[in-house]
Amino acid sequence: MTEPVTTAKTAGPADRTEAVVRIEGLSKSFEGRLVLDDVNLEVDRGRIVSVIGQSGGGKTTLMRCVNLLERPDRGTVEVAGEVVHRGGRTVCRDLPRLRRTVGMVFQRFNLFPHLTAVENVVLAQRRAGVPEAEALERAVTLLRRVGVAHRGLAQPEQLSGGEQQRVAIARALALRPEVLLFDEPTSSLDPEATREVLGVMRELATDGMTMLLVTHELPFAREVSDHVVFVDGGRIVEEGAPRDVLDRPAHARTREFLAAYESAS
Amino acid sequence: MSGLFQVPWSDYRSDLLDALWRTVSYTLAGFVGAVLLGLAVALLRLSRAWLARAVAAVYTEVFKNVPLLAIIFLTYFGLASAGIRLDVFTAGCLSLIVFYAAYLSEIFRAAISGVHTGQTEAGEALGLGRAGIFTHIVLPQAVRQALPGTNTMLVDLLKSTSLLVTVSAAELMSEGRLITSATFRALEVYLVISAIYFALCYPLSQLLLLLERKVRAGVPLSPWRRRRVRAARALLAADLGVAADLKETTV
Repeated sequence: MTEPVTTAKTAGPADRTEAVVRIEGLSKSFEGRLVLDDVNLEVDRGRIVSVIGQSGGGKTTLMRCVNLLERPDRGTVEVAGEVVHRGGRTVCRDLPRLRRTVGMVFQRFNLFPHLTAVENVVLAQRRAGVPEAEALERAVTLLRRVGVAHRGLAQPEQLSGGEQQRVAIARALALRPEVLLFDEPTSSLDPEATREVLGVMRELATDGMTMLLVTHELPFAREVSDHVVFVDGGRIVEEGAPRDVLDRPAHARTREFLAAYESAS
Repeated sequence: MSGLFQVPWSDYRSDLLDALWRTVSYTLAGFVGAVLLGLAVALLRLSRAWLARAVAAVYTEVFKNVPLLAIIFLTYFGLASAGIRLDVFTAGCLSLIVFYAAYLSEIFRAAISGVHTGQTEAGEALGLGRAGIFTHIVLPQAVRQALPGTNTMLVDLLKSTSLLVTVSAAELMSEGRLITSATFRALEVYLVISAIYFALCYPLSQLLLLLERKVRAGVPLSPWRRRRVRAARALLAADLGVAADLKETTV
């Protein structure tokens, strides 16, 4: 570890319970189909919240509502103490600024194929006004941190899936976000690459990075999460400490999901 | 062979050079104009406003389905009879621009819409604005996609400047016609003119192929990108050295 991750604000005991993300009464429909229904969620600073559930249950949509890649139909979204969306209307006047406080890692990496790995990490910094030398230095530091500096000058297509996802994590960290969103970051990876990426995420967790994680990696969710949320049919069915939700689920639907997961793995 | 080549070519050298320069000028002006107009039309076709899309679609369909020769006659003779008298260079360039912009707009539209939506989303998630996403993410990828088609259009446009012979545009083909009238050696003259076109087009298309390959391989072409990659290489020297050592050991 060469530098702290949460550099925007240092997580201290005083603000330990401050919510970086707060979602209240959030609903979202696509073409008349209700995907999220009255969802409430909080991610406190320095905490890791894992969202689990079946595919198509609304997990990814919930995550995309945080940085307003999807605009909720109803409810309130608050990021770093600022209400950004309320009652179906975006109230944040500066979306780019909001999104710079919320890093996001996609399932399919979404690296920019026309740029090298290091340039991928530099681009957003430069657009945010970071001087070239500083942006480059930070990019190199982050690539070292996620263990892909030796591939810094490679194009994304020359990288393995695990390397691409680690570059994507470095890119998401480049602007010193207050919270990182991970949308099924290991779903398209083989077991070896999954291990590498989870290793990087584990280090981020150890460093106190605030994270909201959509995942099918239940053992990893159990290991790193402070809070696990089970989403089904657009609603939060059950939530709580990982041990409670994953080992002693109270709700029948959660038990069903976990049993299906067990038999599949 | 000595019977075939009897035209005193040294007498026509400077005229041919002038004509060659004019062909190159028509090509450059026509291509730059067509790229700019084609990009504008492509953006209109991708616009959310139906009226903009409709105007762009009508433009594209009209100019794709009318022969270039008809457009040349319309801009030079047709507009003149309506009181708009354009000099031959302007009329020639304008014809090439409006005709090739229609084709290029289709190439650009396909290239821009071919950029995966995940790329735009990644840009949004990184806090880039619409202009930043277009300039730094969509456009460079679209250029990669559009390059082969655009390059074909450039070579095609160069060859199509020969149609400007019909309005005596003083380019290569017009010069060939003049030399033929003076010498009555049509076969020889047009063989030489064809050879000049080939000498222009073949290296150009090979050069463009090389450019395509370089762009596809991600070679930094702009000076600022080259500078950035050089600086990154210096910062990453130790890491890249380790990677090279590892590779060598593996081999």
